Parts: sequence; C-alpha cells; structure tokens
Amino acid sequence: MLTRRSILQNSTLGLGSIALGTLLEGRAPPRNSLGGIKGLPHSNPRVKRVIYLFQSGGPSQHDLFDYKPDLAKRFGEEVPKSIYPDERKTTMTSGQSSFPVAPTSIRFSRHGKSGIELGETLPHLGKVADDICVIKSMYGEAINHDPAATCFQTGSVIPGRPSMGAWVSYGLGSLNKDLPAFVAMTSNGTAKSGQPLYDRLWGAGFLPGRFQGVKFRGQGDPILDLYNPPGVTRIQRRRMLDSLDQLNREQHDLYGDPNINTRIAQYELAYRMQMSVPDLIDLSKEPKHILESYGPEVTKVGKYAYNCLLARRLAERGVRFIQLYHRGWDAHGGAPNNVKRQCNDTDQPTAALIADLKQRGMLDETLIVWGGEFGRTVYCQGKLTPKNYGRDHHPNCFTYWLAGGGIKPGFTYGKTDDYSVNVVENPVHVHDLQATIMHQLGIDHERLTYKHQGRHYRLTDVHGKVVQDVLA
Amino acid sequence: MAHRFAKLCLILSSFAPGILCGGNIDYIPDIRPILSDKCYKCHGPDANARKAKLRLDHRKEAFSRRDGNPAITPGDISHSAIIQRILSKDPDEQMPPPDSGLNLPQNERDLLIEWVRQGAKWPEDDRHWAFTPPIRPPLPNTNETSWARNPIDLFILGELESGNKIPAPEADRETLLRRVTYDLTGLPPTITEQDAFLADESPDAYEKVIDRLLRSPRHAEHAASYWLDASRYADTDGYQNDRYRYMHVWRDWVIRAFNENMPFDRFVTEQMAGDLLPKRDFYTQVATGFNRNHRINSEGGSIPDEWIVEYVADRVETLGTVFLGLTFNCARCHDHKYDPVTQKDFYSLFAFFNGIDEAGLGPNNGNSPPFIPVPKSWPLLSGEENKFTTPAKMKIKVVQTSVPRPQSGPPSTVMVMHQLEKPRPTYRLNRGQYDNPDKSVVIQPDIPEIIGGWRKEWPRDRIGIAKWLTSPDHPLTARVTVNRYWQRFFGTGIVRTSENFGIQGEAPTNPKLLDWLATELIRLDWDLKAFQKLIVTSSAYRQDSRIRKNEKDGGRDRRRLHPYGIRDTALSASGLLVEQQGGPSVKPYMPPRIWKSISNNGYKQDKGEKLYRRSLYTYWRRTIPPPTMMTFNSADREICSVRKDHTTTPLQALTLMNNITFVETSRFLAERMLSSAKNPRDRITTGFRAILCRKPTQPELSALLSDLNFYLDDFKKNAVEARKFLEIGEKPANPKLDVSQLAAYALIANTLLNLDETITLN
Repeated sequence: MLTRRSILQNSTLGLGSIALGTLLEGRAPPRNSLGGIKGLPHSNPRVKRVIYLFQSGGPSQHDLFDYKPDLAKRFGEEVPKSIYPDERKTTMTSGQSSFPVAPTSIRFSRHGKSGIELGETLPHLGKVADDICVIKSMYGEAINHDPAATCFQTGSVIPGRPSMGAWVSYGLGSLNKDLPAFVAMTSNGTAKSGQPLYDRLWGAGFLPGRFQGVKFRGQGDPILDLYNPPGVTRIQRRRMLDSLDQLNREQHDLYGDPNINTRIAQYELAYRMQMSVPDLIDLSKEPKHILESYGPEVTKVGKYAYNCLLARRLAERGVRFIQLYHRGWDAHGGAPNNVKRQCNDTDQPTAALIADLKQRGMLDETLIVWGGEFGRTVYCQGKLTPKNYGRDHHPNCFTYWLAGGGIKPGFTYGKTDDYSVNVVENPVHVHDLQATIMHQLGIDHERLTYKHQGRHYRLTDVHGKVVQDVLA
Repeated sequence: MAHRFAKLCLILSSFAPGILCGGNIDYIPDIRPILSDKCYKCHGPDANARKAKLRLDHRKEAFSRRDGNPAITPGDISHSAIIQRILSKDPDEQMPPPDSGLNLPQNERDLLIEWVRQGAKWPEDDRHWAFTPPIRPPLPNTNETSWARNPIDLFILGELESGNKIPAPEADRETLLRRVTYDLTGLPPTITEQDAFLADESPDAYEKVIDRLLRSPRHAEHAASYWLDASRYADTDGYQNDRYRYMHVWRDWVIRAFNENMPFDRFVTEQMAGDLLPKRDFYTQVATGFNRNHRINSEGGSIPDEWIVEYVADRVETLGTVFLGLTFNCARCHDHKYDPVTQKDFYSLFAFFNGIDEAGLGPNNGNSPPFIPVPKSWPLLSGEENKFTTPAKMKIKVVQTSVPRPQSGPPSTVMVMHQLEKPRPTYRLNRGQYDNPDKSVVIQPDIPEIIGGWRKEWPRDRIGIAKWLTSPDHPLTARVTVNRYWQRFFGTGIVRTSENFGIQGEAPTNPKLLDWLATELIRLDWDLKAFQKLIVTSSAYRQDSRIRKNEKDGGRDRRRLHPYGIRDTALSASGLLVEQQGGPSVKPYMPPRIWKSISNNGYKQDKGEKLYRRSLYTYWRRTIPPPTMMTFNSADREICSVRKDHTTTPLQALTLMNNITFVETSRFLAERMLSSAKNPRDRITTGFRAILCRKPTQPELSALLSDLNFYLDDFKKNAVEARKFLEIGEKPANPKLDVSQLAAYALIANTLLNLDETITLN
C-alpha cells in the first residue's frame, strides 16, 4: 500500500488508447492500440461487430419458425407424458388437469431460393430469407425469464458475471474515439409491455465498470445527463472544461497521479460525446426511402424500428456490440394475437436492417443475432380453441437466427421432434451460440478469461463449442 | 509479487553459461501459486476433475512414484515429468494443454525448473497461511525511532526499511482533516469544523477530532454503507419483476449497532443467531435479517425447491466472502479446484442455514415469511415491546392454477430468521442441482475441516456458527475483518484480494502487520471504534500523498471517495443535506421513466426533504439500481460485495456536470458563496473550503475569477437563460439574489464539484 501501485497499474495505458474510460482497476493486462487485450483477436475476425436483437419474453417457435403441419390433426389431444414429463413444466401450468396440443393457427409458407419456412406474420423477413441462417435446435436449462435471460447475456444464471458485450469491449477495445464500444437499447412490445429487463443484462459484472453497456434511452437525454442543463451554453461549457483542465493539471503536478490525466481525457471525451451523439441521432439526412423501409415507427424515439435504424448508424460509427431488447413476447395467453402484434413491431425494421446493411456492403462485416431467452410449450396454457391458445415457457428447444459475415445464408440448421418439444438433431446450447458469436469476432471463448475470486472466468463457463456447421 | 520477480532475475542469470548463483526458491510463496493457478484445475483438490491420478496440491502424492514415472524427482529435471511436460512442444504432451486456455509464462516455467533443480523443497507443514491461526508477532526493531506513533507504524517502517525506503512526511493539517473526516463519516468537514481544528494548537487536537467524528451519528451511517454492500441489502427482491420488500428496519439496526459501537463479535453473533440466543429480544431478532437479504424469486412458474436451494447457498456464499474470505460458491457443484474445501464442506455449512420456515417462491410484493410485525415506536422500543416475537407460520396458497405463494408481509414488518420445528434434511447436490440430491447420506451441520476449531460443547446451530466465527483462534474472521478496514483506510487491503484469502488469492504484502492487527482487534474485545482510532492515529495513515521526490520515499496513494460520498459531498457543501437517521428508504431525483422504460413499475419521486437525504437511504431497486451511484462504481447489491474497482468514464463527467442533483447543489453552494462575503475572492474561497477543505492557490483563484467575469457577462446579456438554469431542481432560488450573479456563481460551484480533487482523497 505504500508503493505507487497506481503508476504500475496505469503504465500500460497511454492516453491515446483510452476509449471509454479507465481505471483504478487492479492488475490490468497489457492492452493493444484499440484499448483491447494484447494478443486479441485470437484469430482472423470474420466480423467487426455484433447486433443482437434480443426478443424478450420468449418468442414462440411454433408460431414463427418451427412449423409442424401434422400437429393440426392432433388438435386438443393430450401431449404424451413420455414426450413432455410433468417435472419439466413450470408451476404456472403444472397444476393443469390437461395438456392439450395447441397446433399453430398461423399459416406458414416457404421463402426465397432457400425455401426457408416462416409464419405469415413475418412477410418482410421472408424477403431476406436467403440472408439468414435459422437454427431450430437452440436449447437451455433455465425455465424462468430472469435466469434464462441472464444466462443468454452473461453465460450464467447467477448475477455478477459480465455481459457478452462487456466481454467483447474488454477483449477487443473500441473502434471509435467518440462513442462507447458497447451500447444497449430497449423497446416495449405492442402486445404487452412485457417482462422486465435488468441492468445486469448489459452490465460489466466483475469486469471494470467502464466495460458495461451504455444505455441509449428512449426518453430524456439519449445518454443519461448528456446535454448541458437549460441555460448553459456550449461556450460556457468549453470555458469550464478549460479551467478544469488547468486546475486538474496543477493537481497532477503536485501528486503525479496518472488517474488525473485519465479524468482530464474523460472530460474531453464527454464533451465530444455531446457532439457525436446528437449527430448520431439526427435522422434528417436519411433518405426517405431508407426511413420508409424501416416502417412507420422509425422516427419515434424508443421504438424498435428507431432502435434498428440507430443500430445501423452505430455500426457505421464503429460501435462493437449493439444490443437491442424488444419486450412483450411472453404469450401465456392469446398467443396468435401476441405473435401478430409483436411481429408488427419488429418484422419490417428487422428485415430493413439486414437489407440496409447489405446495400452498404456492411452486412458481411456484421453479425446479426435474433432470438429470446427460451421458446414456448406445444401444450396449451389455459383455454384451447382453434384460433386462440396460450403457451408456457419452454427451454428445451426454440429458434434463433443469425445473419451476416461468415454465416451460411439461406440455411436451416437443427431439428426438433414432431411436437417441437425436444431437439433431435444438431443441438445448439446457449454457450455454443456464445462461443460462435465470439468466434466470429476473432475471440477464442476459452481463452478470453478474467481472474476473479481466484478463478479464471470466461463467458461460456466451462462449456460451449463453436457451431462450425452454420459457418460459411 | 515483486519479491518473486526479484528472485527470478537471479535465476535467469543463473542460466547464463558459467554463472551458477540462483536465489533460493521457496515452495509456498514461489511455487504453489503457479501450481495452483496453472495445474490444480486438473491436478488439484477436486477428485472428480483429477487427470492421470496426479495431485500437485498434496505433498505426499506429488512425490509418489506413479508407474515408474515420477512427477517430481528432486534435483533431477530430466526425470521429473512435470518439467518435461512443461517443456514439451508436442501438443499431446504439453502442459498446460494448449486447449486449456492456461498459459505458463517463461518466468514461471523457469521458477519451476529451478525449484526442482534445487531439490524441490516442500515443507512438511505446508498449510496455507490463512488456515493457521494468527499469532501475535513481536514488534520489529527499526533503525528510525522518531516516526512511529504506534505498533502499526513499526511494521510499516520495518517493511519500508527492508526495501531501503523512508516514510513520507505528514500531510498538512487541512488534508489530514479532510481525509479523516471522510474516512470516518463519509462527509467533508464543515468550514466551522475546519476553523476549529486549524485554531486548535493543543498537541491532541487531531485526536480530539477523531473522538468527535467517531461519536458522530454520521460515522455510524458511513460504517453502515460498507456493511450494506457486503450484506447485499436492498429494497426489492432482485428477480424478474423485482418486487418490493421492507428491510429498512434491519438497515436501521445496523446503523444503531455502529452507533452504539457494538463489539464486532456481538455484531456477528446477533446477525447470525439473534433469534436463538438465550437473551434474545426484538433487536437481536431484527439483526438476523442479515441472512434474509439475499434475492428472492417471485416469478410465477418458479419451482419452489429450486429457489430454496439458491437462498441457502447465497447465505453460505455470503458467509464465506464476508467472514472467511473464501470463495465457497466453487464448492457448491464440485470439490473446490484450488482450496482444500470439499463439496461436502459446502453442504455441511449449508445444513446450518437450511432449517428456516421459508418459501421457495416469494409473495407478489411484500416480505416473504418468516417476518414479524414492527412496533410503531421503532427504533425506540419500550421494555414491553422489546421482546422476541414468534413469526406466524408460513402458509402457502395456490394461485393461478398451480403457483404456490406464501403470505405477504406488509411494510410494517421485517424479515427475520426462524427455525422450522424439524429442519429440512440436507443432501449433497450433484453438480449443485436442486433436483439431483445424493440421498444416500443426510449431511449434518459442520464446518470445513481445513479451517477447524469447532468445540464439542457448541450447539450445532447458528449459535455454534457465531461462536466459531468469533472464537479468538479462528484463523480467518479477524484477519478478513481487519483487512477490509485496511482497504477502507488505505485504498488497498494488506491482502489485496479482500474477498479471497484462499490459495488463489494474493499473499499479504505485510503478513506480520496483518496478524498483529487481527490479534489486536481481538485484544481490544472487538471494539471497532478503538480499532479504527488506532489506524487513523498512526503515522502511516497521516502520510502525505504528494509526489515523492525520489525513489526512496514511501507515502500513500490517493483514493476515490465512496460512491455515496460524491453525492453526499454536493448535498453537504450546498447546505441541502437533510440529516435524519433511519426510516423507510427515500426516492430522490432519477431520470425520466427510469423504471417504467424496462419494467412494469413506475418510480414515484419523493418531494421536499426526502430529495436531500444521505445516499445510503436512497431506494435500492436491485435490477435497476440508481444510475448516478452505479456510474461511480457502486456495488449493485445483487450479491455480496466487499471490493469494487474504481474506473473513470465520461459518464461520470456528464453526471457531475449535468445531473439535476449536481446542478441544484451547485446553485445552493452559489447562494452560500454569495452570502458569505462581499468580494468575489472571498466568495470563491468559501466554495473551495466547503468542498475541498482548503483555500485556493493564486493560479486557481485567478482562473476562477476570470471565469466568473466571463459567465457574469454572458448571463447579464441573457437573463432569460440564466433564469432557466436557476430553475433546475425542486427547491426555488432565493428571489432576492441577482439572477446573473447567482447563475455565474453556480457555474463556478459546478466547476468545483467537477474537480478531480473533489471526488478523491489526497
């Protein structure tokens, strides 16, 4: 405690390399010129960034992707206990006297050259079907929203671990001097506002706090406290920053603490963000046809369509990990209507994002990930009619899709049984998906570790295998 | 660490041809950390993970001959498989395996080779230092004799002198007053307090200040904030909808305990077993809320058995971190990979906490049983009211077809521990999974063998746990506790990894000092105020942190204020701070729709005085914690936390410049500055002293005076803008003050709040 540990800690960090913040943060490993870890990426990165379109609440694979036409004939029959044992049901439904098959009421059709099968509520996705890779064999263990979503985002159901975006910005650093490396945005569903989200989903966990996702907000300042208070001008602010700079430097002369220099640099970055963020969210120069492609809600701050367009603009500006959340997929009752309304929010903007990136030549350097925390049961929750039914949580199989750099386009992977209850071919676990995402960024998920409480932690715990079969 | 590298330099040179002068390698400090970090994962205490039947954490087994191919042959590198393996280029042979993610750097490889070459000395008693009881070391002899004020200084000086260094001079009085006032109360010294101290020329002036601070209720509040982080205290349940709970009565018990200077052993005992003690009363019962502060899952559909396991495991893990400095969570699923803690040890501790009359699924909002009603007169209970109260039995009602929910405790209750008449049987859970118990053996309450020290006469319940934790020969409780205090007062613990004293934790930088402090805390009958006084009166604590003139100088590092201290400083310096102890949590300013945007609840901001209470009273919603605090690296209170790294980010700058709290406090500090004097110099000096506890230097003053004139000109030209600026915050500006003056001074005040020095302890 009597050594100048702070000097040691910071000696590897020139001011130029600071992206979003630094440290009084213990034994920092050597960093590369982007502020990432020296030696990373481990392999040639296939993409520069990830856009993760998280569909919160658990979208129904039955009504969107995993079509089982034969189930129509089994309408109302009991789902066999051999297929779906009682102990795998949540206590929302385990007390039901009956577990009748609820076939989807949504029509399905094939799209594109690849003939990918999609529900009729996804007409726009159908137009870009040849760009996506559908994984029908995702599975996890957690059956409740909180642990399941936490596992998808942090690799563990227990809080305290870093989110995927935090790992990525810790490992790779930033490609941008004026914006954070990791941004999170949320929107509410029209079907229902939906299951809550939690700050930990984009948190830094045990990594230094500067790696946490910066939340772009749907109301008030786009980043918390970004704008000067009413009545304070930019000229006054510049004046204040100049004095802060001078006064802080005098302190530095006295104390020699490198953290003071870091703080000076962070004030300058804050000042630049005050310029770069308004520029980021200024949609006035977007051509009309682009705005229209994202649908009617594209200019409404905080809507999914707006966030999708912002995702593209963030991607253009070098943000590494862009995490969207759309709430409202938790259809315990009224599933067909839920799917229609949620798709109405998301289908057009999602497809537009793919097309927009593609026409800019950016799709190939971006990985887009679409999916939620689990799927839904084949058996009906509540009252069953041909046109209406509810579905409970189902982690044993559900659908994700990927698109972009290094992913097989127009490809369907994995298979579930006749009821879409279990995976029968090519299972992909949550940790496998995470390993694959990291791999596309050039990160070996087994080698990006952080020592905490005496253990070398990693995103995928002790699991995870890159799903080579979906890679082009 | 430094010591290890120094030795290595010697060794490396020994590899140069003709030079054979390697330093002696010590197994415990030099070799075991490498084996543990790089080899134990497959060759350590966890029997199930062990490969090739090789154990490198165990002296006898490491040297045993397996198939004629010894892992280690003392003095013979070529017949030591571990050395051949680490040197191998063949991916099938190489250790650690290339796909393990573990990398053995050259210096560690060289150390292992040199150790084997020197005879692979491995002492008979190789117990990890933290598992042996602290023995009070003799005071070291030092060359310098005038610097030390108390034994702490002798240990520090001894260490400095061995490195050929000298201590730094004492910090000036203003710096010292600011440092100690923050460290003991979390708030800056007022100008009146500064004047009194600077005018007091008596030799014990500093000591008088310490006594005053330790008596102050602010001290108890500040002490409580650290304990709340460690105890994962919050106002909500923490899962999914993050339902409301009511635990502020427990929080107030903590403040009360620190106020009374409750001895730490008593403090631990009441929290562990206040419901079981022979002399139990309402207060001791409330104390047990410590073990109810974990998260509780209320999500419909949750399977109750799964979550009870989580709650009990959380209690064990929190106990492990807070009192034992060990990472027990590892042993939940398998034998610990590094420390000699078995999975059975985990479930033996688990059994102490597994007999509570609690529900797996929480109620939808409200306290989860067991809870007790709190008398209206809390915290000042009459003799009649101050008695143990038996909680109502848990009653489960099935709702929504099949969701089993317990009764819900209203805001007038508090959660406590209460035993079931017949505790649940505890089984070892395979891979830690609730639905995979090994029912062949019922596990009895017990403590980890490696720590030991259990006495037969102790009951096998939470009273026994408390007796064990606070027994004078317990190897960990006192060490872990004094280390956290050291971390608080010096920025870094003597064991830097204050949450991990295990083999993978860092070794103490000054082990004798650590043991002396641990034994001293016990000798002081666990008197925490006396212990803290010892620290802050030491010469080591009083050192200056300014730049060292040369390498020989010791000294101390600057530290960031506690995250709460940053907001509290602004409130205090502006005069807005409302000092009222305890009560339900308050809801100060938050960004618009802070809760509503991502959850199904709305944040209803308070009005008036509640906007200006100390930060430890701020309503803590676990899934959406207050962003201004999180921006400054506050603990999130989801799980136990005893150490937070401090980073510097642009979001911190934005908060201090633009956040409503900091804008409003700037305005009120400006009012104080304006009313304090007639001329701008003195006014700025007032602001400086209120925040930084010192007068400005000439260059600082000129810079701010020039800014002031610039802002004044601006605002005079545009009074409308000035007025807008002054309207921020709920409390109106004094209408008698000139608008442009007030606005200009408010920007000066805001400049002061944004100085690096303001959020740092020099």
